[in-house]
Amino acid sequence: MAVLIVPASLLVLGLLVAPMLLMLRISLNQFSPTQMMIEAMSADNYIRAVTDPYYQQVLGTTLGIALLCTLLTLILGFPAAYWLARIESRWKSLITILTLFPLLVGNVVRSAGWMALLGNDGLINATLLWLGIISAPLKLMYTPQAVVIGIIAVVLPYMILTLASVIESIPRSVEEAAANLGARPGTVFRRVVLPLALPGVAAGSILVFVLCMNTYATAILLGGPQFKMMAPAVYDQFIRANNWPFGATLAFILLAITMIFTIVGSIGIARRYKR
Amino acid sequence: MMAVARRTLFRGWVLLAYMVIFAPVVMIVTISFFQQEIVSFPPDGLTLRWYWNAWQRPEFARGFVSSLQIAALATLIGVPIGTAAALALVRSPLPGRGAFNSLLLGPLAVPGVVCGAALYMFYVRAENFLDQDITATLGGLIAAHTLLTIPWTVRLVAASLQGLDRAAEEAAANLGARPFTVFRRITLPMMRPGIVAASMFSFIQSFENLDLTMLLVGPGRSTLPVAMLSYLEFRIDPTLAAVATVQILLVGILMAVTDRFVKLSRVI
Repeated sequence: MAVLIVPASLLVLGLLVAPMLLMLRISLNQFSPTQMMIEAMSADNYIRAVTDPYYQQVLGTTLGIALLCTLLTLILGFPAAYWLARIESRWKSLITILTLFPLLVGNVVRSAGWMALLGNDGLINATLLWLGIISAPLKLMYTPQAVVIGIIAVVLPYMILTLASVIESIPRSVEEAAANLGARPGTVFRRVVLPLALPGVAAGSILVFVLCMNTYATAILLGGPQFKMMAPAVYDQFIRANNWPFGATLAFILLAITMIFTIVGSIGIARRYKR
Repeated sequence: MMAVARRTLFRGWVLLAYMVIFAPVVMIVTISFFQQEIVSFPPDGLTLRWYWNAWQRPEFARGFVSSLQIAALATLIGVPIGTAAALALVRSPLPGRGAFNSLLLGPLAVPGVVCGAALYMFYVRAENFLDQDITATLGGLIAAHTLLTIPWTVRLVAASLQGLDRAAEEAAANLGARPFTVFRRITLPMMRPGIVAASMFSFIQSFENLDLTMLLVGPGRSTLPVAMLSYLEFRIDPTLAAVATVQILLVGILMAVTDRFVKLSRVI
């Protein structure tokens, strides 16, 4: 029966591990505008990626946006997750599925929806103009704020579903006991619910942070051409600059940051909450 | 008073979260029915003609058919081999189980753009070596998307296997059923919820994938999300909204059908 693992393993080795090794090798090559690529063994590309002010800024923007979006998603999503976890009716499974649904609809479709909401002729500007609150459309599209809102909408279902599954495992009696002993709702939340939900907070935040780091469609469509994050920068190196070695380098840096956060986070959760 | 204010704030906050999630989806469906070509509010009237218009555009019609083909074939290939791997992971005395598990969940851990870039260079190298097109072909895209289906299948099927009581299988074997009969009549039906859910997730993941696919398409062969993205870089109009609505509808139907077989809310 153990041989049943072979086809899937070969597929992943052939189409993920082998291409990654090739990419690592290519990231050590050098770019030449005439020959495209010169075989080499140098760290020049990595040095350029971390010292060039332009790429420092791209990386800084990406990390900043990812941290901000993770924090806002956590704040926005926690009450919704608590609500979902504590529903006691036949609607619960329907609401769970409805939370999952937008997540499966795809990022391109949801970014398009935000374009229709935030554009100069979009619903928000049209409503504000009609109400007479503003006299000229606000510039909402192609701003970092638009990207932040778009990303939050994309990752929020992940956060809610992750948190809700952990909050569900907290017995309601624990909260009732604290309340009966005279704790106010704020105190119950701070001293009982939040500490017990921390593994979920950590797991949800790591997942969401990684997703934010890798944002592509939302950044392109809502941020416009001037707004650069890591994933579009990687893509540009292959499509526009045709610079494989540097594209491979940027891809590896993105992967490394993702991996470090995932691994450190999972070890942290495992160590703290080992049963 | 305080309690009422607090409850109102809580409910408002929950409502806000769900509004942020649903607003773009509702918006895109709404404008697909708008009469005027340049999106503005309120609409001049409502129409269905943009759906016809979208189908007349070759990039959307072809992208839609391509995406369907790729998603169906990637699911047909990926779910059986992923199911086999899940069986081996849960049921056999496998050395290095943890390592295999991480390997098979790998495609989920590596960012789509990174994986796509690596595959792109790998495909171009293989093309030079084999003297045959791989990028922007149906085969190349199906292979890449099969990779996407593996982690979902392994995870969902392994989870459904872990909860299984082996007594029924042992009873069947004791009553003289051959191993293959036990598998076909007992094990496989018990794994069904996991397999059905895995097929749905695999199909949808493949159908809506952009990040991994972007670098692997070309003039010869594209997919629906890539076609939508290139169109959106210039404008948002009811034609695009109609295409997006079709994708939303497809995902909704698939989820509803799957939910009849397995309780989706319990799978995730």
